[in-house]
Amino acid sequence: MEINNLYLDLEEIKQRYPENPLEYFKGKKLCLFKACLEKYFPGVRFGIYDLLEELGLEVDVCQHQSCCSGTFFQRNLITRAQFAAINERNVSELNHQADIVLFSCNGCYNSVLRGRDFLKSLDVRRKAEEILTRVKENSSGDNYPGKYEILPELNLRLVHDLDFLYLIRNDVLNSLKFDLKGLNVAIHYGCHYLNLSRDKSNIDGYLKDKTKLEDFVELFGGNPVDYQERESCCGWGASQLVIHPKEALKVTYKKLKSAENVNADFLLMPCPTCLYTLSKPEYREKINKYYGEQLDIPTIHLNELIAILRGCEEERCITLRRMDKRIMEIYKTITQL
Amino acid sequence: MNYDSPIGSKIKLINLCMYMEDNTESDEEWNYDFLNELVDDVEENRNLIQCISCGKCVGECPATKISDFNIRKIIRKILRGDKSVISNSDIWYCFLCERCKRVCPKEGINIPLLIINLRNESFKKGFGPKYNDLRKYVEMAGRFLTNGTVLEDPLDGSLSQERVDELNEICNFARIKYVFKASNASKDNKKKKKLKKKN
Repeated sequence: MEINNLYLDLEEIKQRYPENPLEYFKGKKLCLFKACLEKYFPGVRFGIYDLLEELGLEVDVCQHQSCCSGTFFQRNLITRAQFAAINERNVSELNHQADIVLFSCNGCYNSVLRGRDFLKSLDVRRKAEEILTRVKENSSGDNYPGKYEILPELNLRLVHDLDFLYLIRNDVLNSLKFDLKGLNVAIHYGCHYLNLSRDKSNIDGYLKDKTKLEDFVELFGGNPVDYQERESCCGWGASQLVIHPKEALKVTYKKLKSAENVNADFLLMPCPTCLYTLSKPEYREKINKYYGEQLDIPTIHLNELIAILRGCEEERCITLRRMDKRIMEIYKTITQL
Repeated sequence: MNYDSPIGSKIKLINLCMYMEDNTESDEEWNYDFLNELVDDVEENRNLIQCISCGKCVGECPATKISDFNIRKIIRKILRGDKSVISNSDIWYCFLCERCKRVCPKEGINIPLLIINLRNESFKKGFGPKYNDLRKYVEMAGRFLTNGTVLEDPLDGSLSQERVDELNEICNFARIKYVFKASNASKDNKKKKKLKKKN
């Protein structure tokens, strides 16, 4: 049996619920995929969790889900079959608990879709099945049907937070207390969102400019500013920042500098890995050391921004440890009445 | 571009040199032995034969902007049986951003997967990154195999031991296990050194 794709079909939802797409999600079990880097940016998780609860949706996280392991696959520390097996273990846990899984991280989203894609290779599928059989033989504790099997036809569907939030944008807008007060916002999508589409027969989906974040900024009362490095990588580059820091930071530097050059008040993005790279003080210091420029432009994840605009408590949107002077100014600008 | 201007004529000359450099090999120099070895490991690499050397992948590549990484050249070498790409450090500069896959005009060419395959071969032959380059990964591998995430004190706590055991079983014989063992060995050495100092 062929492995099915797990994308949530947004077009179908739009057709079925043209007036209010939120209706589709009511009564369904939603689960937030736990991205490791949310530890540094808890507002990324809380931002969407609180919103979904307020909208009356059933939302949870899966306690048995592990790291997506994409980083280890990209560094050749696990094989394709092992990566696919880790992925299927997570997918089966999520499938046991939820109807729809939401992703705050481009990397995790790409990993789960890719792990599933790999199973289309018969060789990888056979090896992954062997691995999972071994796991089953050695397992103990809670079990349920299908736990250690590759299930080709799953009802579980996956969606990136950005795509989900855009689909229900009217409801998001209705939940806001504040607006962006005309702030200039530079957009960063991140490579694994920009280059995600796997269907080359759909030219639109493949090559058309992605503009959901720009649309959001306008809807929020801000001003999206274009800049030269809009589509460039954040510099993380599957751990290039760890292995070739000086070269990779050049990419980060160019991105931040380009956004500062157009007087952006902050950079908005839909991925905590990009956020980590573009905001880490240690990297900013190194940029200053290597390229002689102290760049201060703040960076914010979409989920954090929505939490700020909704008037959530500080620790539910931007944690205090990130509260530098520029972020504080933005926070105050947005939240003053 | 006005090729009659001083700058234009220089660019014309550079273009001509690049064209000649790229077209000095005849069809007789195609050699698919290396490609076949790569296909044995990752069957999707079979599609590399469709490459038309258009260079779109290079033009959009972040790694090309900061290093000598040039995927067009790497593919040309592979299609001529040149295994030097494995020992060359260039392959370790790829960002795996998948931009090349997006802009490639061909249907089934998966360059990021090819790079992972080449790096695997490089590892096997002993050309991979040195232990120091992987230090961060040593720590991350340790955490993944003990609490299921790559960071200490994850937001939602660690996985239960039963689930961690499952991950360890899946990762049996993987490089991550050896890196994990190396991390334990290095911790033990540090402890021994501390003890020695104390005594």
